[in-house]
Formats: sequence, structure tokens, C-alpha cells
Amino acid sequence: MTTLLVIKQALVTVYSKYEVYITPLLKFLLALISLLLINSGLGYMESIDRMTVVMIVALMCSFMPTGFIALMGAVFVLLHLYSFSLECAAVTGAGFLLLFLLYLRFAPKDTVVVVLLPICFLLRIPYVIPISMGLIGTPASAVSVACGVIVYYMLHYVTQNATVIAAMADEETAAKFRFIIDGLIKNREMVVTIAAFATTVIIVYLLRRMSIDYAWTIAMTAGAVVNIMVLLVGDLIFDINESLLSVILGTVLSFLLVLVLQFFVFYVDYSRTEKVQFEDDEYYYYVKAVPKVTVAKPEKKVKQISSTRTGQTKSQPKGQTRNSRPVHR
Amino acid sequence: MLNEERVVLMTKMASYEANEGKKSLAIGSYFRSDYIGWQVLKSIISATIAFVVVFAMYIFYDFEVFMMEIYKMDLLEFARNVLFFYLGTVGAYAFISYVVYSVKYSRARKSLRIYHSNLQHLASLYKNEKNG
Repeated sequence: MTTLLVIKQALVTVYSKYEVYITPLLKFLLALISLLLINSGLGYMESIDRMTVVMIVALMCSFMPTGFIALMGAVFVLLHLYSFSLECAAVTGAGFLLLFLLYLRFAPKDTVVVVLLPICFLLRIPYVIPISMGLIGTPASAVSVACGVIVYYMLHYVTQNATVIAAMADEETAAKFRFIIDGLIKNREMVVTIAAFATTVIIVYLLRRMSIDYAWTIAMTAGAVVNIMVLLVGDLIFDINESLLSVILGTVLSFLLVLVLQFFVFYVDYSRTEKVQFEDDEYYYYVKAVPKVTVAKPEKKVKQISSTRTGQTKSQPKGQTRNSRPVHR
Repeated sequence: MLNEERVVLMTKMASYEANEGKKSLAIGSYFRSDYIGWQVLKSIISATIAFVVVFAMYIFYDFEVFMMEIYKMDLLEFARNVLFFYLGTVGAYAFISYVVYSVKYSRARKSLRIYHSNLQHLASLYKNEKNG
């Protein structure tokens, strides 16, 4: 445990020192992974399915706000779909527009969830996101998570049915359109996943706010169990044929991952090094404020070994903690 | 002379202005009714665009059937239904926006109150220094 605490402290120190480089690097990696996954999954437009283009866009994303990654992801998806089928691009574009107009306008910070969730789906650990959002977000995060699920299933449906859509004749525009919309609206798996994830976010949020010991761990465990339960009940009701094993394994893996995140990311105050400038009548100030790093000390337990018999009292030595119990022999 | 307490306070305030205070300061420059009114208006425009998109998709979904039935249907009744749905959607969305932006405004005001008290404290530090 002490080693972990030391690692955690080292992380805080490194982050507060090199935040200027680490944040853009993380953004760059997120953008790079998202764009590469989009290219490998869709990849219909050859001109943007190139490493140089991806690298340039990812570099741009590293210096822009996080929302820009989502925007670039959406542009890449739409361009690929446009090359594949105009109807697909129109429906997906309309979906993105609705998500942006109706929800993401309220919570621009949550756009990162919409990017991360499809990536986690591909890695088979989507359950990380609802549990994490329950821990660090608000009940409104349930809507962000739902948006992410919709985006994933929208793209999943198009890639799964690419051959069917491609086989339809060009003049069957209305039929293509209907086929794509039907696939999205009548996707029961998507509805069940949204219900499970939204319930998980709300349950985790409610439990972690309770003033009980280990609220976070209880919230995470309850969230993971509720997630499995809702997915299984939905599976039974709607007959989705989702693999029970993959749901349970995915949830357990996600739970462990969130435990790690909780220890290294959520609990820790990653205060940044601030560089500010201001002036008064007399001076110009160029201040670099570096956060203080407190070293986590292991709790001291004082054990008193005494030769006196049971029943005999002895004055408590100076500095003994309240929790320590004298050991009588 | 450099006053350590003053520099610390000014640094904290400058950091606030550059980060989380940026939005609060922008919101705080509006009157409550102006800010919420403007945001609700933007929401109404967004909801209208969203409604148009959904309606277009609805029409296009069964375009052939719609074109065949357009001559038989009561167009006035159809328009009334569409208008009813439109007003319902936009009204609900505007109400949600009103609640969300009211909360945002009061939060921004609260955070600005602390900022202003820090400003007053800073002014008093300067005054004390001047008086010796």
C-alpha cells in the first residue's frame, strides 16, 4: 500500500510540474486513438484514411479544447459515410446535429464522454464510463452517457450492415433511408444499454453522496451489480442474445479499472502549476505558483508492551494515539 | 514595497480570472433576466432547428406514402397537429433551459461574490499600506 501511495504522490508531483506538456499529450493520444479507430472501422474515404492526415489533425486537437476532438471525430465519420452512402451520412449527420443542439450545448465538457464511450465499447469495457461518471459527475451525466451509446450504436449499425446498404440500388434512396432509420430506432440493444447505463450513473451518484464509510466503493460495487442486472433483465425481456459472460467479465474488468482510476485520478487533487500575470500602480507581476506537494505519511500506531498484569493501570505515555491499545502479557 | 499577502491574493484572483472565473465573469456582466432570456432564445432557435430536422426525417421516411396521401388528408388538421407538436417540444425545451440557466446564473453570482470580497480585501490592503 505504501508503494502505491508513493507512486500516487510521484504522479501528483510529475503532473503539477509538467502539466503544460502532459495535458496536450493526453489530448493528442485521445484524438489519435479516436481517429485511427474511426479510420479502421469506416475507412471509406481514402484521402483522410492516411497516417499523415490523422497525425496532423491529432496535433491540432492537442492544442484545442477537448470538444474539438469530438468535432473532428464527427467530421471524419461524416466524410467516410459520405463516401460510402449519402443517406448514411445524412442520417448520422442529423443524429450528431440533434445531440449537439439538444444536449451538448448545455454540457460542453461532457463531449469527451461521447468520444470515450465508443472507444471503450470497442475495447469491451464500456461499463467504465457510467460508473466513472456516477463517481465524478452529476445525474445529468446519464444523458451524456446516453449520447455516447447512441453514437456508438449508430456507427455500429452502419458498419454491421454496410454490405446490405451497399447492395441496395442507387435509386432506392427512400428505402435506404428507411432501412437506416429503422435500424437506429428499433435497436432494442441500444435502448437496454441506455437504460442500464443511465440507471448505473444515477445509482452510483446517489450512493457516493451518502455520508457512509466507503461510500465510493459501495457506490461502485452497487453500480456494477445494477448494470449487470438491468442488462440481463433487458436481455430476457427483449431477447437480445447478449453474451452473459462478456457482460459479467466486462463489468468486473471495468470495476477493477475504476478502482485504479479512483485511487490514482479521482481522489487526488492534481493542482496545476499556474503562471499568471497582473500589475498594479507600481509593479508588473509575473508569478509562477507551484502547488505544495504533501507527502503521504503512513499512520503511526503505538504499541505498548508492558510487563504489568491485567487490571493494573498505567499512565498513558506522552504522544500515544487514541486508537492504540496497550498489549498485556 | 512588495507585500507578500497582497501578491498571494492577487495571484489567486488572477488564476480565478484565467480559469473557472472566466465564465462566471462573463455571466456576471449580464442582468439575470437578460442572461436567461438570451439563453432561452438560443434554446428556442436550437429546438426549432432540431424540430425541422426530425420533421424532415419523418416526412422523408415514408415519402412515397406521404405524397400519395397528401391529396386525401385534411391539411389544416395536419398543420395543426404539427404546430401542436412544435409548440410542445419548444415549450418543454425552453422550460428546461430556463431552469438550467437560472441555476448556472445563481452559481456564477455566488462564485463572483467571493471574488468581489477578495477585491475589497485587496483594496483594504492597499489602503492600509498607503496610510502606513
